[in-house]
Amino acid sequence: MNAERLMFLGGLAAFVLTVYWVRSRDLKEKYALCWIAVASILLLCGLFPQTLMTLAQWLHLSYPAAVLFLALGIIYLFALGVSVSLTHYHRRQNRLMQQLALLEARVRELELAREKFQDTERARLDRASAEPIEAG
Amino acid sequence: MKTLVVVPAYNEEACLPTTLEELQALPADFEVLIVNDGSSDATGAIAEKFCAQRPGWQVVHLPVNCGIGVAVQTGYLYAAQCGRYTYVVQLDADGQHDPTTIPTLVQACQQHQWDLCIGSRFLGHQRGASGTTRWRRLGIRMLQALIHGLSGVRLTDPTSGLRCAAPAAWKRFAREYPDDYPEPESAFWAVRSGLRVGEVPVTMRPRRAGASSIRRGQSLYYMAKVSLAILLDRLRAQGR
Repeated sequence: MNAERLMFLGGLAAFVLTVYWVRSRDLKEKYALCWIAVASILLLCGLFPQTLMTLAQWLHLSYPAAVLFLALGIIYLFALGVSVSLTHYHRRQNRLMQQLALLEARVRELELAREKFQDTERARLDRASAEPIEAG
Repeated sequence: MKTLVVVPAYNEEACLPTTLEELQALPADFEVLIVNDGSSDATGAIAEKFCAQRPGWQVVHLPVNCGIGVAVQTGYLYAAQCGRYTYVVQLDADGQHDPTTIPTLVQACQQHQWDLCIGSRFLGHQRGASGTTRWRRLGIRMLQALIHGLSGVRLTDPTSGLRCAAPAAWKRFAREYPDDYPEPESAFWAVRSGLRVGEVPVTMRPRRAGASSIRRGQSLYYMAKVSLAILLDRLRAQGR
């Protein structure tokens, strides 16, 4: 299998996977944009290998494979950005979990206090109704 | 003045009842918060049962397992929200920490005006009698050297999870606390932020049941993660 065909198949697989995950809501559109761009470039290079040569000439790179290294650098930056974003979400998720647990404990505490109050009130009313009503 | 004892617990159904029974012997001004860290066993139910019988004891349930750092921080957040505690003590549920040493930690904080008091297994006449493996001791020594090299402060047991924090330390921990393997990093943050950190000798007992959260294969990751965290923390501005 030559490099062009490999790029074409890789691009096609990346394209299909990205669309599939966006469709099933496992991937947000804002992240999918970059991956669709990467998949499209791979597809383009696979279908029209001359594109890579032209791009290399434009960028004054001595050989076409250097363009791929450039693409690799861009993907690396994107992956790093995703890791940073993941860290932010992780922190937020932890704080949400903690607040949820603390609120749940507070609700339980208040419910117990309410039950205790209702029991006391009921006992007071029972006592009051059991007392004989004095005749005027 | 009240003290809160935070007991993070993840799948500790075998050890928790004994630890909680031991905690009952503490004076009335010590309140207990059990943080059930998304356990899949009966830990939550055991904690509920104990708390129902004791006023001032409370249990919070994290909906999923979030890790020791998040569980302990939940305790600090609870203390911050309640606003009635002076000191917050952290104690493991697995039985390694002796609850009778808790008042000693609090007294040491009061006497020496420390912001953080760590229970050290390598201080005093019982040093070394803790059952720690040679590799773990080597790891602890490396962390001691790293903390000493970067801050000038010598801590004999930076990995100890038995510690008492005064408001200056625990209010900050409520805002920011490492997720996993938090002890050395949080101790380093305290010393590099100019907080007064001291140690008192304690005896660590073997776990009653279960396995340590740092398993053999994870030791290298533990050392790499904690060392990197401490090194990078040195680059942060004071108090951040």
